[in-house]
Amino acid sequence: MKLQRILQQSFKSLAQPLLAVLIGILTGALAISFIGESVWDTYKVMWNGAFGSFYFVTATLARATPIIFIGVGLALAFRAGVFNLGAEGQMVLGAVAAALAALFIPGPGIVKILSALAAGILAGGLWALLAAWMEARFKIQLLISTLLLNYVAVLFAGYLVAQPFQDKTGSAALAQTSMLGQAAWLPKLFPGMSLHFGFIMAIICAIILYFILRFTSAGYEVRMLGHNPFFAEYGGINKTKVLFVSMFFSGGIAGLAGTAEVLGSQYRYVEGALTVPGYAWTGLMAALLANSNPLGTAVAAILLAALQTGAMGMERNTEVPLEIASVIQGVLILFISAKFTFNWWNLRKKAGAANGSV
Amino acid sequence: MTYRLEMNDMTKKYGDFLANDGVSIKLKKGEVLAIVGENGAGKTTLMRMLYGLEQPTSGEIFLNGKSVHFTGPEDGIEHGIGMVHQHFMLFPDFTVAENIVIGREPKSYGFFNRKAASEAVQKLVEQYRISVNPARKAGDCSVGEQQRIEILKVLYQGADIIILDEPTAVLTPAEVDELLNTVRFLASQGKSIILITHKLREVMKVADQITVLRNGRVTGQVKKAETTADELAQLMVGRELQELSERDQLEGAPLLEVKEITIGINSSKPVLDNVSLMVNRGEILGIAGVSGNGQSELIQAISGLKKVDAGSILLDSKDVTGTTVAFRRNAGISHIPEDRYLWGAAKEGSIVDNGLMGYYKQKKFNRNSVLLKNAFRSKVSGWISRFEIKAASMDDQAGNLSGGNLQKLIVARELGFETDFLIAAEPTRGVDIGAMEYIHEALLAKRNNGDGILLVSSELSEIMALSDRIAVMYEGKIAGLLDRKDATEEKLSVLMAGGKENEASKNTAAIV
Repeated sequence: MKLQRILQQSFKSLAQPLLAVLIGILTGALAISFIGESVWDTYKVMWNGAFGSFYFVTATLARATPIIFIGVGLALAFRAGVFNLGAEGQMVLGAVAAALAALFIPGPGIVKILSALAAGILAGGLWALLAAWMEARFKIQLLISTLLLNYVAVLFAGYLVAQPFQDKTGSAALAQTSMLGQAAWLPKLFPGMSLHFGFIMAIICAIILYFILRFTSAGYEVRMLGHNPFFAEYGGINKTKVLFVSMFFSGGIAGLAGTAEVLGSQYRYVEGALTVPGYAWTGLMAALLANSNPLGTAVAAILLAALQTGAMGMERNTEVPLEIASVIQGVLILFISAKFTFNWWNLRKKAGAANGSV
Repeated sequence: MTYRLEMNDMTKKYGDFLANDGVSIKLKKGEVLAIVGENGAGKTTLMRMLYGLEQPTSGEIFLNGKSVHFTGPEDGIEHGIGMVHQHFMLFPDFTVAENIVIGREPKSYGFFNRKAASEAVQKLVEQYRISVNPARKAGDCSVGEQQRIEILKVLYQGADIIILDEPTAVLTPAEVDELLNTVRFLASQGKSIILITHKLREVMKVADQITVLRNGRVTGQVKKAETTADELAQLMVGRELQELSERDQLEGAPLLEVKEITIGINSSKPVLDNVSLMVNRGEILGIAGVSGNGQSELIQAISGLKKVDAGSILLDSKDVTGTTVAFRRNAGISHIPEDRYLWGAAKEGSIVDNGLMGYYKQKKFNRNSVLLKNAFRSKVSGWISRFEIKAASMDDQAGNLSGGNLQKLIVARELGFETDFLIAAEPTRGVDIGAMEYIHEALLAKRNNGDGILLVSSELSEIMALSDRIAVMYEGKIAGLLDRKDATEEKLSVLMAGGKENEASKNTAAIV
C-alpha cells in the first residue's frame, strides 16, 4: 500500500520531465528529418556518442560532473524559495580560488587538495552570500543581483588570470594560471579516461543534500521557507539565517563545480573553460527538470550531458550539425517553463477552489 | 410553469469519493434559493458544475426547460449565470466602472469608451440600487464595496441567475444587512439568486427555498416559511447542537500584559495607537472589531511577527518585547493565525510537515537534528482522529485539505503545544458547525485549565459566546472594554462603528 503510494508519487513527479524529454526528442526528430537525414540512424549515432562504449560513458559522466554540482547547488536554493541565477559566477570564482589555493598553499598534495576545496566552497559561497545579504539588507532582488554578479565574477576571474596570476611560462600567453603540481590533481577513476574523482564527490553531494532536505531539521526549515515564507516566519524559523545558509551552500556547491574541474580535469584555471560549455545553464535546466529534487537533478544532469556528448558524436559521424542538441535543449527549456506556467495555473485554480466553501 | 433552473440528480465522483450524490435543485424566477451545509458537504462542487468549472459524473442541467451542457465558465456567463466568488477578482488600480465592464467594454471606433462605461454602470447602480462610486479606484474601496462591484459585474454581464458564494464571510454586520437587502431587491426585479452559506441567521432572513446538503446528499428541501434555524442546523449536522459547557469564574494572575504599544508612530494615523490590555490566567479576552482596525497588527506584535515602535509586551511578568517569534513560542505563546493560507500552512507541504512546525526542534522529535518522523506521525494521527480531520493520508499535501480541515489541523497543532497563553485569531473561520463546537469546547477547556486566551474574531456571536471580557478595537485603538455580563450585540456594534459606549443605549433602536 505504502509502496504503491510511493511509486505513484514518483511516477507523478517523473511524468512531466519525461514528457518534456520525449517531446524534445520528437522535435529533434522533426528537425533532423527536415535536413533530410535518417532520424533513427542519427539518434543511434547520438546514443552511441553518449553511451556507445565504456569510453563514451565515462566521457559523458565527466561532462556531467560540473553540471551535477551546479544543479544540486541550485536545487538547494530553489527549495529555499530563492531563484539563484548566479551559479556561473559562483562556479568561476570557486575555480579561480581553488586554482590559486592549490598553486600557492604549501604542503603535500592532500593539503593542497583540501585547501583548494575549502577555497572553492568559500569563494562560491561568499559570492552567493553577497547577493543574499543585499536582498536581506537592501531588498535587492536576488534573481537580478545573482544574474548581474555573474558578469562581475567572470570578468574579475578573467582579469586575475590575464594579469597577476597569468601563466608566463609558455609562449602563447593565454589567460590561464600555471599548471598545478601533479600532487594536487584529483585521481582519474579509470586510467586513460577523463572521468575523475570529482564525479564521485558530485554524487555524494547530491545524496547528502537529499538526506539533509528530507530528514533533518535544517532541511525542514529550508523546505518550509521555500513553500511559504510567512508560514516559516510564523513558526519561528529565522528567515534571514536560513536564506543566508542556503545561499552560502548553494554558491559553495557551485564553487565545488569549478574546483572539481580545475583539480580533476583542467589542472589549472583557463579563462572560458567553464563558461563556454554553459555548465551553469545546463545545471539550471537539470534542477528545473527534476523539480529541485537533488537525486533527480543528478540524473537529469547526466541525461543533459549525454545529450551534449551524444551530439558531438553525431557531428563527428553524420552530416547533422551539433545544433540539433541545442534544438532539443531549447524545446526542453520551453516545456520546463510551460510546466511552471501549468503548475502556476493549477495552483491558481486550486486556490480558487480552496477559498470557496467546498 | 417551467423553472428557470433545474439540476437533476447531479452526481460528482472524485475517485471513490462522492462529492455530490444525486443532488437536485429547482429555482424559479425571482426566487432566492439558499444552499446550506457544512464544509465539505458539496455546496461548492454543485455550483462549480452549474458554472461549468467541473463536469458532472452524471446528472442533467435544464435552463428554462432546455437541457444545457457547460464546458467552461464562459458557457455559464453566456447562459446568464453569474457567480460572485468569495475572494474578489478585481484590478485594484482600475476604477470601479472599468472593473465592472472588463471583458465587455463599450467601444467606439474600436477604442474603449470610458464615458459609456461610466454611464452604463451608473444606470445599473440606479436600476438595482447598489451604491458604488464608479470613478473610484477599486483598490480604495472597502470590502463591502468590492463585493458590490462584483455583483454589478455579473449584472452587467447580463446574469439572470446569480450565485453568491459565502458572501457574508468578509462583511461587517451593517454590510451584511445591506447585502441581504440587495439580494431581496434583486429577486424582486426578477433575478434568481443562489446563496451558498452556512450562516443560518442570514438564510432565515433572505431565502425563499432552502436546500440542505450533508456529505454530498440532500438532507432537506424546505420552504423558509415552514422551518426554523434549529431545524436547519439539525439537518446540516445530523444531530442536535450542544450548548457550551458551564464556565467557572476564575480569578487568575495576569498572564499577558500589553503596555501602551504603538506601531506606525511616525504616521498621522498609527495602525496601533497606544494599545494596552491584559489577559489573565483562566480568562478569554475577546477582541471585537471590524477587520482592519488594528487587530492583525496587535496579533503580530504579540506573537513577535511585527516590531512595535513603542510600548512593551510582558508574558508572565517577563518582558518579551523585541524578542523573536521562536523565543516567544518557547516562552509559552502559541498562535492560531487569522489567515490559515497566508500564515498557518504550507500548502505544498505534507500534512506531517505542516504539523511539524514548532515541534521539529523538540527533543522528542529531533535527535541530533535528524527528524524522528515516525514519532511525530503518531502525534499527527492522534490529532486527525481527535479533530476528525478528513485527509486521504498524512503524506498528502496540506493544500488538498478542505479549508475547514486545514483549520482543524492548525488548531490541533497550536493547542498541542499546551502553552499558558494562546492567541486564537478567527479560530473557526470557515469550519463546519461540528468542528466549531469542538474548537469552542477546546478553547473553553484550555481556559478552565487556567490558561489565558486572546480571542480575535470578526464573528460577534463567537466573541460573545466565549469571552470573559471583550475589548473593541476601532482605528488602532481600544474603543471600549466590556465585561461578559454587560456586553450586548448593540453596545459592541456601536463601539465597532466608532461610537462611544454611552451612545449605545440611546442609538440602539436606530441600529437594530
